[in-house]
Amino acid sequence: MATVKDLLKSKFSQVWYVTPTSSVSDALKLLSEQQIGAVLVVEAGKIVGIFSERDFARKALSPEVNLDTPVGDLMVRGVYYVTPDQSVESCMALMTAKRFRHLPVLEDGKLVGVISIGDVIKQIMYEKDSTIQSLEDYIWVHMI
Amino acid sequence: MATVNNLLLQKGNDVWTVQTGNSIKDTLTLMAEKNIGAVLVLDGPKIIGIFSERDYARHAAALESMLLDKPVDQFMTQSVYYVSPQQTVEEVMALMTSKKIRHLPVLENEQLVGIISIGDVVKQIMSDKETTILGLENYILGRDYSG
Repeated sequence: MATVKDLLKSKFSQVWYVTPTSSVSDALKLLSEQQIGAVLVVEAGKIVGIFSERDFARKALSPEVNLDTPVGDLMVRGVYYVTPDQSVESCMALMTAKRFRHLPVLEDGKLVGVISIGDVIKQIMYEKDSTIQSLEDYIWVHMI
Repeated sequence: MATVNNLLLQKGNDVWTVQTGNSIKDTLTLMAEKNIGAVLVLDGPKIIGIFSERDYARHAAALESMLLDKPVDQFMTQSVYYVSPQQTVEEVMALMTSKKIRHLPVLENEQLVGIISIGDVVKQIMSDKETTILGLENYILGRDYSG
């Protein structure tokens, strides 16, 4: 069964981040340039939050929020993370239960990548297809 | 193999829409209330576009403006793909993946009958594959037991 490490290997694992004092405008430009839906918010080497298109769309309705607002005011704190040795299934369960599309990957407290729901689903589909293929092969070889 | 119609039977036919000319602010308010990522934009009964959290984030960044008082139709995505109730979930998944879209309206005789998201589609495909695996395993076990 595949682990988070396998996903990071098969993916260009550049991690994009901003700091809590970055403006919303800078964070949105980064999302746009990198064609991603969320960025981590990092302060002194530590993850302090995550900021997504959804956070912006929801919080833009507050009258005090504008493009100069620091990301620290809009980010979601208490970010869940996974470790490289965790199974892809456990990530899927966490993402589904908490409705997250992105999870940072930490190894010994150090940020080594981010996985998205798309990566996770692709892997799980691939594994299910492989299982189906081997079961069908078994039937062909042994039972027909 | 499951079809779009099977998905709609499970999730219902609710479709959240705004009208052309509605403000971005009203549109975002609806999306927040319903906790959804995208809404269809209609001109009368006709679909003219789709507006998502991503559209909003991208345009606000590019124009350096919150855009809240602007009409939604200025910033929606105009080319809307759609599917019919008879299409298989696999076809829908392929379309969503290749076009990188998360939502597809469902049209039947040019009438809007629902909207499906990538989440709905993935859930269904996963469950179909699980069913296939169980069926194959039972077949193998059943045959083995009977000798």
